[in-house]
Amino acid sequence: MELQDDFYNVPQYIETASGNKVSRQSVLCGSQNIVINGKTIVMSGCVIRGDLANVRIGRHCIISKRAVIRPAFKKFSKGVAFFPLHIGDHVLIEEDSIVNAAQVGSYVHIGKNCVIGRRSVLKDCCAIADNTILPPETVVPPFTVYSGSPGKVSGDLPDCTQDLMTDITVSYYQHFKPHGKGK
Amino acid sequence: MASHGKGTNNPNVKIAAGAMVCEDCELIGDITIGSRTIIHPKAKIVAEAGPIVIGDFNIIEELVTITNKSSSDGNSGKVLIIGNNNVFEVGANVEAIRIGDHNVIEGKASVGSQVEVSNGCIIGAGCQLNMPELVPENTVVYGGKCERRTQRERPPAQTLQIDFLTKILPNYHYLMKPNLQPRQASVKK
Repeated sequence: MELQDDFYNVPQYIETASGNKVSRQSVLCGSQNIVINGKTIVMSGCVIRGDLANVRIGRHCIISKRAVIRPAFKKFSKGVAFFPLHIGDHVLIEEDSIVNAAQVGSYVHIGKNCVIGRRSVLKDCCAIADNTILPPETVVPPFTVYSGSPGKVSGDLPDCTQDLMTDITVSYYQHFKPHGKGK
Repeated sequence: MASHGKGTNNPNVKIAAGAMVCEDCELIGDITIGSRTIIHPKAKIVAEAGPIVIGDFNIIEELVTITNKSSSDGNSGKVLIIGNNNVFEVGANVEAIRIGDHNVIEGKASVGSQVEVSNGCIIGAGCQLNMPELVPENTVVYGGKCERRTQRERPPAQTLQIDFLTKILPNYHYLMKPNLQPRQASVKK
């Protein structure tokens, strides 16, 4: 199935040399600690908390509207530490989700309105259904689907998930076009 | 921490010394914020029906909405009092009559306008409380069906996290200036 073109207003987005498209309405706190590797779309209303710890986002990721990316903390005997958050390549995070994870692998799909609990680890090629609440410190193994509250395994993903997610994110990026004046 | 022109110049917002209130949040109406309370950017506090008083050692994370709403019965004009040592996690929505001490409202939880939360409660992620009630002490609301149980002890205070955030937030954000003097000399600057 071919995706419909999704147009955005040019003044609303900043396009970087590596092809990232970042909305001006997003909130990037501590932007010197945020690394976005390229061809990633960050839509309006997103909050990325680079001030708490480093955040690294891979290539061809899509972070939809009002999603929150926030490094998780852990209490130690001598104070609190926030863990750096790594997100792999070809990750799709849909609207209104909160990602408090310690690590998100590549080819991961996080649905709408999810809460990913503190210090969860999402391995490569997994999916989180819409409205899932993952409890803190959950480890989501590869090729599984989690859903519900609290999130539990609800299905398996095919072996070709890597190709499917690559297709989805790449074609989304290609169809995310500027809404140029007079074009 | 240079002064910044953009902050809300709302004369009704009273911030005690030692509180960390990011300028990038929305404070509307008569709001009092206690010392050592941390308000992350993009939080929204609306004192629409009456004042909101927030105690000490609270953490209010981003996209949290706290509203003092005028409910249908003669409740409007009442003060919404939030006690001490509460944590409001990302995206929580609170319209309660009162919040006691040591509560945790987790991400995307919602507390309706006729609910009173006592002390030591945890409202789990995504749970909603809409019926008029007083949530008893140390109640935990959890899961997709908002089941309940009572825990033996209240959740621990987040003093360490507050210490850490107090150190780190001024490096990255413009903060609103405190305009209330501490009640005791114990608050260190």
